[in-house]
Amino acid sequence: MHGTIRISLAVLLALAGTPAAAQESVYDLLLTGGHVIDPANDIDAVRDVAVRDGKIVQVAAAIPTGSAKRIVDVKGLYVVPGLVDIHAHHYGYAGSLFPDETAFPAGTTTVVDAGGPGWRNFEDYQEKILRRARARVFTFINSVGLGMGGEEDDIEDMNPRATADKILAFPDLIVGVKNAHFGGSGWTSVDRAIEAGRLSNTPVILDNTILSWTGRDTRTKVLEKMRPGDIHTHFYNDRHVEILDRRTNRVQPYMHAARKRGVLFDLGHGGGSFLWPVADRAMAQDFPPDTISTDLHAGSILSTESDMPNSISKMLLLGMPLRDVVYRSTVTPARTIKRFPQVGTLGEGRDADIAVLRLDEGVFSFHDAWGKKRLGTQRLLNVLTVRAGEIVYDRDAIAFPDWDAPGSNGRTRE
Amino acid sequence: MTANRSVPVRLALALAGACALLAGSGRPLAQSEPIYDYLFRNGHVIDPAAGRNGRMDIAVAGDRIVRIGTNLPADQAKRTVDVSAYCVTPGLIDLHAYVNAQGVLRQGDARTAWRNVNPDHNALRHGVTTVVDGGSTGWRNFESFRTLVVDHSRVRVLAFLNIVGSGMLEGQEQADPADLGVEEAVQMAGRHRQTIVGIRSPHLRGAGREGIERSLRAASSMDGVALVEYQPDAGLDYRELVLERLRPGDLVTETFGPATPVFDGNGGVNETLRRARERGVLFDLGHGSQSFRFRLAVPAVRAGFLPDTISTAMDKTSLLLPRGDLMTTLSKFLNMGVSIEDLVERVTVRPARALKRPELGTLREGGVADLAVIEIQQGRFGFLDTSHERLRGDRNMRAVLTMRDGQIVWDTEGISRTDWSQAGPYSNYR
Repeated sequence: MHGTIRISLAVLLALAGTPAAAQESVYDLLLTGGHVIDPANDIDAVRDVAVRDGKIVQVAAAIPTGSAKRIVDVKGLYVVPGLVDIHAHHYGYAGSLFPDETAFPAGTTTVVDAGGPGWRNFEDYQEKILRRARARVFTFINSVGLGMGGEEDDIEDMNPRATADKILAFPDLIVGVKNAHFGGSGWTSVDRAIEAGRLSNTPVILDNTILSWTGRDTRTKVLEKMRPGDIHTHFYNDRHVEILDRRTNRVQPYMHAARKRGVLFDLGHGGGSFLWPVADRAMAQDFPPDTISTDLHAGSILSTESDMPNSISKMLLLGMPLRDVVYRSTVTPARTIKRFPQVGTLGEGRDADIAVLRLDEGVFSFHDAWGKKRLGTQRLLNVLTVRAGEIVYDRDAIAFPDWDAPGSNGRTRE
Repeated sequence: MTANRSVPVRLALALAGACALLAGSGRPLAQSEPIYDYLFRNGHVIDPAAGRNGRMDIAVAGDRIVRIGTNLPADQAKRTVDVSAYCVTPGLIDLHAYVNAQGVLRQGDARTAWRNVNPDHNALRHGVTTVVDGGSTGWRNFESFRTLVVDHSRVRVLAFLNIVGSGMLEGQEQADPADLGVEEAVQMAGRHRQTIVGIRSPHLRGAGREGIERSLRAASSMDGVALVEYQPDAGLDYRELVLERLRPGDLVTETFGPATPVFDGNGGVNETLRRARERGVLFDLGHGSQSFRFRLAVPAVRAGFLPDTISTAMDKTSLLLPRGDLMTTLSKFLNMGVSIEDLVERVTVRPARALKRPELGTLREGGVADLAVIEIQQGRFGFLDTSHERLRGDRNMRAVLTMRDGQIVWDTEGISRTDWSQAGPYSNYR
């Protein structure tokens, strides 16, 4: 269990309206005593993190606490950059989830909608989702004009020029192109998505059924079709990208060759894309995902519980070190969407997007796409989420005063 | 657990059963024939409606509970789930929530849905198998909610119809008296009797007395219950509302919200609330994002005054900082000293009766297989109210498994699942 909860005297005094409140605060928020893992700045040690005006102002040992408006003791917990989930679903079909609702409890502060809208309904998505979300939301625009709400097999609605033009019109919001769920045969859908990526100079994220009758094969896709920087998602599923030779259980040579040429592989866990036998063998042969992502939707949130802390915990179970899982859920996803270092680090001056995680010990069950469980002894849990300096989730109420604390006036709420 | 039988063995057993039937012997099937799909063994069953509170087994076949008893034969179950570490309850009922999210996420009018949440994961993860929308839509837009949400959810979705014709629209703060249509609401309720359980009073300012009166008239006409929010500026004081206007069986919500006069001047529970309860008026918690304060709840619970129904009134805001989901809301009361049995009563039998759906909220042989398996964790926990003040606690309730209509829809500890090492080689992983 986690450490004792403590709200410092300074906070209580400030709330009580004593002279301490009159003193000008240097920090809005100070997280003290946590173990900071910020791979971008090579920090993996106990540090305090100070926030002001929505930005990280200092990460250092023993920052004086005297003049912070709110001090939260996070001793025994890990403090990492807000998680970056490059495969989420927030628009366009019945399985979509509202970004804040599912991201913040998971410690995720940046999400990328993977193909919800296309160029025909991007503005509707902006109105319904983007303007209402506090989470940072980027978009892989669908190569199909109507996105996931349309017909994803409809080659006629895959217009590379119109898709690229929409990306160029919203360069701050759209980070690339998604092509997925194409059930027809041939390469047209892949070619058109990559053409849109080429015209807009953005990466393409792909899934695509690989079956003999489709005429597509993983080797051609990852070695000839995809460009360096393009992303293949649903990595530990064996229907969209064949990692392993089913007979020998060896990682296919073309997968190593693809990684060497710069093709990226994204976990995209979801309800159907993480199988223990695939993940186990790939990790045993040192073939990890570049980016850990959830493909979280209304189904997978119940079945595989593929949120970021759970997906990360599965990678820990498979032997990936903690520092590496943090790297692959902050730095590499931010780089993949060309938003590093604005996102994915606790660097001074950056937006204060922070996750505070607890590593629980015990016996935990982790589920794969076919409903099978694997027991592990550690599970990462998000306990506190900060977005642009604001506390947006606090699982155990560690950042707030007791209701009956002396001096508390019932108007704690900001 | 019983291993899957091979096809030939199954076929042989089926044939034997068929022969027995053909012979008309009436003899039971072979002892080892699995007749239950699931057997939940040795859980602490809490089912206040049926007076159950003790260790029992529950057998499920298809979408029905078929037996409740002790020492049910495990060899008759395809899958036995050991729930000896947990409480087993009827599927919980969240009597007041805002679950019309699909207007934003998929299609339809985003203004009707801007603060709503998806019902399935926000209910089923917390043991809730019946969720009641608290009036996100009125007669003008209910049918869109029905089509987009009610018909597509795995959780059972019921609804209070808002007396405001357009329901809860983004940006609208003042009621338009012309939009409070009694006849229209009654007609809509009549068309959707399976779903609409009653009428929600106006959530908007300016509807006044008339808004309450029309809600009650509509509720009477449709033979439903009214879910009423007290508004201090409605020209109707709390006393008159709960002692003179509401009918026995009507619900007044936001019990521990800032507008409710919970206490009298001397720190005791207001006599008005006690008298309203004697009259049969029901108090609904309705936690929400504004309406749950420990400053009111803790002293009231100490004085023995609990809401009749514990509901979330959940929306996009309440699920984040105050963590107003049903399990966390129940945990808040558990840490105020309320017993687990008492809590289960207020999320099963009491809301079922309040909704006039007594078949819900209880475990019954032959009844639909909706149930929740709940863990009570020990440790150090903290909980927030809607003023963002904390209650410390040493226990936390968590749903580890939820069954809806005989299907396991949530199983976070994998207690009903097969271990991957038993699932065959990768070339034939099943």
